[in-house]
Amino acid sequence: MSIAAEARPVPTADWVTIEDLYRNPFPIYQKMRAEAPVHWVPAVNRYMVTSFEACHIIEQDQEIYSANETGSLMKRAMGHSMLRKDDPEHDVERKSYGGVLRPRAIKETWNAIFQENSDKYLAQLKAAGPGADFIWEYAAPYAAENLRRIIGFENATQEDLQRWSQTMIDGTGNYADDPEVWAKAEKSSAEVDAAIDEMLPRLRQHPNATLLSGLADMKIPLESIRANLKMTIGGGLNEPRDVLGVAVWALLSNPDQLAQVLAQPARFTDVFDEAIRWVAPIGMYPRQVTRDTVLEGMALPEGARLGVVLGAANRDPKQFEDPETFNINREKKPHLAFGGGIHYCAGAWVAKASVAAIALPQVFDQLPNLRLDPEHPAVDAGWVFRGMVKFPVLWDQK
Amino acid sequence: MAKISFHHGDGSTDVLEVEPGTSVMRAAVTNGVSGIVGECGGQAMCATCHVYVRQEYLDALPPVGDDEDEMLDCTVDERTDRSRLGCQVKVGDGLEAIEVDVPESQV
Ligand code: HEM
Ligand code: FES
Repeated sequence: MSIAAEARPVPTADWVTIEDLYRNPFPIYQKMRAEAPVHWVPAVNRYMVTSFEACHIIEQDQEIYSANETGSLMKRAMGHSMLRKDDPEHDVERKSYGGVLRPRAIKETWNAIFQENSDKYLAQLKAAGPGADFIWEYAAPYAAENLRRIIGFENATQEDLQRWSQTMIDGTGNYADDPEVWAKAEKSSAEVDAAIDEMLPRLRQHPNATLLSGLADMKIPLESIRANLKMTIGGGLNEPRDVLGVAVWALLSNPDQLAQVLAQPARFTDVFDEAIRWVAPIGMYPRQVTRDTVLEGMALPEGARLGVVLGAANRDPKQFEDPETFNINREKKPHLAFGGGIHYCAGAWVAKASVAAIALPQVFDQLPNLRLDPEHPAVDAGWVFRGMVKFPVLWDQK
Repeated sequence: MAKISFHHGDGSTDVLEVEPGTSVMRAAVTNGVSGIVGECGGQAMCATCHVYVRQEYLDALPPVGDDEDEMLDCTVDERTDRSRLGCQVKVGDGLEAIEVDVPESQV
């Protein structure tokens, strides 16, 4: 029997719309997963893979599931970064980041800077007063300033980083081919190039602990340095911001769990892990099939463009009991929020240190009786990237 | 072929015969040995392939590398002087057999 004959045909989910996914993808994923692990989704123009098992298989097999997608909008918006390469090319560039994002450097250099930044933006949030937006007054500038310092852009501001990140990400998702979106992405891309070009010679003279400084002496093409840093700007800012927002929102919506954590601050690590499981900040990323294959019983043709839906895999009832519920006390199981295999998130330890070890404990320590604003409800949105888009909070002023 | 034995907390043992050059993590993940995750695919980045190598095999292993050392400080179960990352320990080439104890938790 041929491979295809053994496999089930892939169902089409023509009922899925981008608008519904953006508002709340989870009921859609529930319905899809129950039917099959893979669907062809015309609105997204991809096969969407929604089971934990199938997403996991893809992550661990770069030969059949290539990251080097043809026609990638990310390549157009940011250049061809390591995230869209397979080994051995990927490996050289991944190694070029050296130890900058690893635990030792975090302990020696970055933790003190994260603390400084958290102090600064918590003061900004407090000055804005109760009713202020947790994301825009604290989480976003905090994540952006941390990333600015790690990369080593002495010649840019955290606001620049936020603008660069958002406009280039918008380019990456510009399936509608909106010329205005491309114009903004291109402008940011040019600004990043100029900032890099200015910093590299400076850092060759005065090396420091930053990513740019480490890259300054590497024998990798400037084109790759640029693409990798743009990808890192796009992948290292919104995600810590979003997990911070979702974690605080989930705790404020679950007072029992909040009480538990306040009594035992070491449990903020569990809060972090459960927050990224429950709402994966990167909800979907692409892969392309290099030859006819069968994925968890489903036939896929060579060249098929896949969406690996981490947001759905992380709520697969086959992997997690009662998966739709935020529960820091659930049985510990591996989830896929940081991806897996060779592209496993390079910033995972930075995210854990800055969000779970520093920001979350400090936020609850310094904002007494932090709570939701009943008059102004928080809004979560997104599916390729998901987080809080509006999050007004109240607290007691001392 | 080289032999890897995984001893579990419940007293059971998985024994695998693998090609020389295979890492303890890769052997476990490919053969569905429980208790070893290996999220990062072997880059010494995730600390979810932690194993305790049985005493009698420790001397035959290459020394703990810098990245491995750093990651062993991030394991969920306590680091001991028998702790190694399964992805950094390869069988063959003088290590024809190894026995490891699988930690209670990796995540
Ligand atoms: C909670 C926060 C974060 C989440 C959930 C997250 C998630 C991910 C995921 C899912 C991937 C793999 C994507 C794919 O395979 O296509 C990835 C890759 C990556 N992330 Fe993160 N990330 C986070 C924070 C960060 C931070 C703070 C940085 C930088 C400081 C960062 C830098 C990177 C880089 C450089 C890659 C590419 C790795 C490679 O291609 O080998 N991430 N991240
Ligand atoms: S597999 Fe990730 S550290 Fe060994």
